[in-house]
Amino acid sequence: MAVMNQQELLEKFLGQTPLFLGPDPDIMKEHDIAPQTDEEARALQLTTDPRVISLVRSRLQSGVNEAFEMEEQMGAAPGAKWGDLICGIYSASGDLALSSTGGVLVFSTLTQHPVKFIRKYWMNEPTVGVRPGDVFMHNDARYGNIHNTDQSIIIPVFHEGVLIAWISAIVHEGENGAVEPGGMPSAAESPYMEGLKISPLKVGENYQLKRDLVTYFQNSVREPKLQLEDMKSKLFTTLRVKQRLEEAIADYGVNAVVATLRRTLEDTKEEVKRRLREWPDGTVRTVLFADSTLRENVLVKINLTLTKTGDRLVFDFRGSSPEFMNRANNTVLASLKGMLSQLFLSFVWPDLPRNQAVFAPIELVVEPRSTLNSSYETPNAQSMMTFFPAFSAGQAAVAKFLYSSERRYTELIAPWYNMITTFIYGGITQHGETVGNLCADLNGMGGGAHETHDGEHSIAPIFAAMADIGEQEFNEEENPFMQLVSKKLMRDNQAFGKFRGGQGYQMMMTTKGSPFWGFMTTCIGSKFPSITGLFGGYACPTYPLCKVKGVNVFEEFQIHPERFSFTIEDIMNDRPFPNATYSTHHMGLQFELAKDGELYMITQGSGGGYGDVLERDPQLVMKDLEEELISPWTASEIYHVVYDPDTLRVDEEATLQERLQERQRRLQRGVPYQEFVKTWVTNEPPADLPFFGSWNDRDVIYAGGYAGMPQTKMAADAITPVMMPDPKDVRIAELEQILAQIQHGMEPSHG
Amino acid sequence: MKRVSVDIGGTFTDCFLVFDDQYIEAKALTTHHNLANGFMEALAQAAESINETTHSVLSQVDSVRYATTLGTNALIERTGPSVGVLVTAGYESAIPLMRGRGYGEGLSPGAQADLPGARRPEPLVSIPLIRGLRERIDYRGTVVLPLDVEHLRSQVRTLIDRGARAFVVALVNSVMNPEHERLVEEVILDEYPSHLLGNFPVILSHQVGGRKGEYVRATSAILDAYLHDQMYYGLSALEMRLKESGYQKPMLVMHNTGGMAQLNSTHALQTIHSGPVAGVNASEHLGDQFDIDNIVTTDMGGTSFDIGIVVKGGIKFYDFNPVMDRWLVNVPMMHLETIGAGGGSIARFDRLYNTIEIGPMSAGSDPGPACYDRGGLLPTVTDADLILGYLDPEYYAGGHINLNRRRSEFAIEDELCELTGLSVVEVAQFIKQKVDTNMAHAISKELGAKGYDPRQFTLLAYGGNGPLHCCGIASALGSSQILIPPFSSVFSALGAGNMDQMHVHERSVFMWVYDSNTQRLMDQYETFNNIVAELENLGREDLKRQGLTEEAIQFRLELDMRYGNQLTQTSVVSPVRRIASDADLLHLIEAFGDDYGRRFGQGSQAPEAGIRINAIRVLSFVQTGRIPFRRTTVYTDADADPVGHRLCHFPGIAQPVETAVYRADRVPEGAKIIGPALIESPRTTYLVERDWVLHMDQQGAAWIRRV
Repeated sequence: MAVMNQQELLEKFLGQTPLFLGPDPDIMKEHDIAPQTDEEARALQLTTDPRVISLVRSRLQSGVNEAFEMEEQMGAAPGAKWGDLICGIYSASGDLALSSTGGVLVFSTLTQHPVKFIRKYWMNEPTVGVRPGDVFMHNDARYGNIHNTDQSIIIPVFHEGVLIAWISAIVHEGENGAVEPGGMPSAAESPYMEGLKISPLKVGENYQLKRDLVTYFQNSVREPKLQLEDMKSKLFTTLRVKQRLEEAIADYGVNAVVATLRRTLEDTKEEVKRRLREWPDGTVRTVLFADSTLRENVLVKINLTLTKTGDRLVFDFRGSSPEFMNRANNTVLASLKGMLSQLFLSFVWPDLPRNQAVFAPIELVVEPRSTLNSSYETPNAQSMMTFFPAFSAGQAAVAKFLYSSERRYTELIAPWYNMITTFIYGGITQHGETVGNLCADLNGMGGGAHETHDGEHSIAPIFAAMADIGEQEFNEEENPFMQLVSKKLMRDNQAFGKFRGGQGYQMMMTTKGSPFWGFMTTCIGSKFPSITGLFGGYACPTYPLCKVKGVNVFEEFQIHPERFSFTIEDIMNDRPFPNATYSTHHMGLQFELAKDGELYMITQGSGGGYGDVLERDPQLVMKDLEEELISPWTASEIYHVVYDPDTLRVDEEATLQERLQERQRRLQRGVPYQEFVKTWVTNEPPADLPFFGSWNDRDVIYAGGYAGMPQTKMAADAITPVMMPDPKDVRIAELEQILAQIQHGMEPSHG
Repeated sequence: MKRVSVDIGGTFTDCFLVFDDQYIEAKALTTHHNLANGFMEALAQAAESINETTHSVLSQVDSVRYATTLGTNALIERTGPSVGVLVTAGYESAIPLMRGRGYGEGLSPGAQADLPGARRPEPLVSIPLIRGLRERIDYRGTVVLPLDVEHLRSQVRTLIDRGARAFVVALVNSVMNPEHERLVEEVILDEYPSHLLGNFPVILSHQVGGRKGEYVRATSAILDAYLHDQMYYGLSALEMRLKESGYQKPMLVMHNTGGMAQLNSTHALQTIHSGPVAGVNASEHLGDQFDIDNIVTTDMGGTSFDIGIVVKGGIKFYDFNPVMDRWLVNVPMMHLETIGAGGGSIARFDRLYNTIEIGPMSAGSDPGPACYDRGGLLPTVTDADLILGYLDPEYYAGGHINLNRRRSEFAIEDELCELTGLSVVEVAQFIKQKVDTNMAHAISKELGAKGYDPRQFTLLAYGGNGPLHCCGIASALGSSQILIPPFSSVFSALGAGNMDQMHVHERSVFMWVYDSNTQRLMDQYETFNNIVAELENLGREDLKRQGLTEEAIQFRLELDMRYGNQLTQTSVVSPVRRIASDADLLHLIEAFGDDYGRRFGQGSQAPEAGIRINAIRVLSFVQTGRIPFRRTTVYTDADADPVGHRLCHFPGIAQPVETAVYRADRVPEGAKIIGPALIESPRTTYLVERDWVLHMDQQGAAWIRRV
């Protein structure tokens, strides 16, 4: 036996004594498909006829689609009922090769990482092992996921003792035992407040869930029924896919199946490179700001430089905000990649097969410890608050390449609305059950305006096609809340343009008949638009959270029913209940107990506008006016249409003149670029601007300017995480200042 | 028995006449401007073939049964009236937003996945014709905000001013308490009595759909209002025409629930897709008479492939939220799955995988497949079938359409050969194999999702292209038995002749059969039983109103059940019609668990999460006499004489195979034909592939079994 040298001994010692097996950096940073294995090479040699591969592929696709329908039917989580789920088949190496036609692709894409973790660490681990019949589970985003409200079940598939594939099913479960109910805590100040953190874990053998582990999970969450039902539903979903996979092996042979999985990945990757070559070379820059951490109003910069050369496409997010040590809006880099692959599959090349190779040829540059590449100790339950704007920055940038591309595979659009505007809820239902989850309303995000027509109102989320916004009657039957205004399009909530974006809806929520009930909202865009327009189209409007407390509208309904109005605009402007308090807030509402009949009111933003408002067809403006989508003020002051307010008949000539004049006024308002730069540009962010990210130089990152935090500067490659003050402490400081002013006989300033 | 049943399709009006022991098939072109013309022409043909007049036939038959596409046409052509909709204030946008996903309902998966290309269909009701009412009812049916009647009057006037000529009232939770919807109707009738403005239909949503879901119920009611006039006047005119021609009984209209009713007891919505549903119904009847336990029905036409399921024990499969045209509704309809696969499906090169994909685009009938020589340049499944030798260019559609083989070759060469490196025949072989496989996968998914093994099913093949592709489908599916049904060219009309008079009434409920929090079984027996009794009473009244006697009425109780808070609602046929004990509940739980386990896998049941009833459904029906089929009991294995031979190509076989060709009308009953063989009729071609053998049965039926 050869004698080990000192280095080898050291490495052996270190390899045997890790504190624990955390996320593997090599697995987490890689998004290319795995190298071809010997088994795959042999299978490909033996299966050369593309016709056979075509037959096998459609067989497997049919099986995955069947299982998806089954999963949707069996699932108990609201997410499962309304489309927030998926299932897929992975190669033996762990690459996602096929996923169901429906569902949230990013879930499936990200599950490659835990599959690869299991393969690397548990296969040969004597205390775990990977054997036929084993069932694994995970939810921790740091091992590959969006956030830990999404839970997976993963099974390996063996053929004659050889591992040939993996199958997973993933559902947005909602409740997971976090500090706030519903699974997406914005109040989490560390990963340990985010509820269940399941690293890839064996939870069953012989395709049976281990009851002790199921009990542990049930014991750790507010909805033990949900936990049980959906662990079962996901397991049986994967078993259905396995059955179909085995049938395909029986009919076509194992080599044909292995070759099909591999060929699907390789062909997709090559096709993406070919399509990228159709784009013009160049660089496009987009900047967006998340205007809140969900705890406070700050500007979190998302800085994108997108460069395309030949068949290379590089997303460079350097210059973006640093990570937040005690806020839940951080993104694990893999999650960002998963979401960007969704961009290509849903909005650029929807005809491509749904597998991870779509993103394989694309490169990313993101600084470690930035908010888009956050570190292990930072919470990420609300990662959408940074990677959704990153997605939208990508969508705006990609649109500019597509505009000049030789060929398009779908229509060119302005950015889609990107926020999960809905109510998360928790408490005890009228049926005595403890629950915590969310409403499906978030699924209706407004579509971006098109090159040739308006965007569609509240139609689909950026992460899934055919998602459902649900029916309120079912919600009310199970939970003690009522949407007094339910998904009603809101006037003037429009991204203007030659073609307008699809508008968003407003919701007015209250609770009724529960001893303990509360709401949360988790959304940015109250101060700064969450998406941009395109080619002169307006960005999405901003929107506050509105509350009316100190009133029970159900009592008002009996005494003064005429007082109630069915729009946020009227309620907030008219203030119809004399003794109530009316307030507005940013859209990051931490879980708050609500009393019967108090009002919580929110509205979505809209899809981005396309082109100049002065080019909008006046008849389309009148149609929007007739449909109460815009106000008379907007028709005349934004679109500059002259019309008869009684008949809505357009005066074409007067409109033409008015628009000519507006163009002249624009010229008068404008200043030469250099002059503008002199008056506008500063070397550093103002000291009192709550700003996080690069300013003029993307290698220098700023953080601070909020609640007395000094504006600190750091090198982009040496970011230190930002620690935010407790909002309650900030408020106490403000109140103490006011108190001191009063005590000194001064007029109090209002914080 | 003397009976007429008619199914009006997009191209043909099919008639099936039973006149004692004579069974007559007849077809006429559908006359879209006035469907009665085609109806009467088909009937006249049938009567003439037995030397009777239309009048004498109509005066003798026990019933005229009618499945119509009137409603479908009205939806597609947008010929309905201007409908005004009154909803609960705050819910005005639910209809135009279509639950988000509505943009993709009725479209192919590819179109659904293309978000930038997503566009909602042209609305049936524009936004200005939807008005909110100041009212609110909660989930239990309690009025929390009383209806503001003055505000209602003003909203009704607004709708009239904007041109509404029919009203839909769709208020939140009206199925739990219809008080407000009824009050709205009263006020509309008070404001606009019929003598002032004519008879505006007022449709109340709770009367159209008894289950919860404010959007789907509103859409159901809108479709009903939209189709009401056209349906009512169209069918009334037909009924009058029948009366003038000697028929004195009420006409019976087929419903998509699998039953039928008189015109005055029919909602317009119930007639959509009633023709294809009648085909499934005929299959059920055929299964009974031919002792077949499990049947998967396949209807392959020119553009689509319909799949239906019939299993032993009377389990019915419904779509609780079917899509009608592009609209999601909540009236139960017998389940039918349709995919875009037919003779006209276009084959295209898939560059990504260097292979060929089929459909869902179709050349339809205009221009049709390339071989039709009507300008179509793209290769289709029918072109491949022609190249492979399965179709006789001189005898297609009985010789009415001459096929041009060179056109098919050009199309395949131009579009596919160079790109794939395959010959014309190799491409055609793959097109056949691929389309058969696609259809087999669709069947497999359908059956698999319901927990059935396709190998346990007999494949029933009808439609113009069904018998030609059935062996390929069955091979890919692993099935070993195919039945081409009797009278296959008018099979849906035949199904209409075998339906029961039936009404379906249902109600949303929230009932725990087993509450796992308290570990107690349901004790609300009285509440449950009262709802069942009420629904039975509604059905009883419907049937008695049509002159049927109470003694003849039968009931079937179905419960939509689920574990915990799942989406799935497994419809369980209740073993008892009233709950009287824990034992009754345990039987119910067992029946539910058995069905659930079969669908999703044994062990997938989760009673620990509690078991709920979400809807109670009562089917009230009166059985009517069935049309008996004849069946050959002894197969003689007699030889049939081929009319010729052709060289045919088959997938997986390199060389062409000498294939015998028969004329269907010259193949004697009981004859046995070993594949490969072709049996041609003016309406279809049966392809018996190698390793399959055909036995000719009576009335045009044929069994094809794997050797």
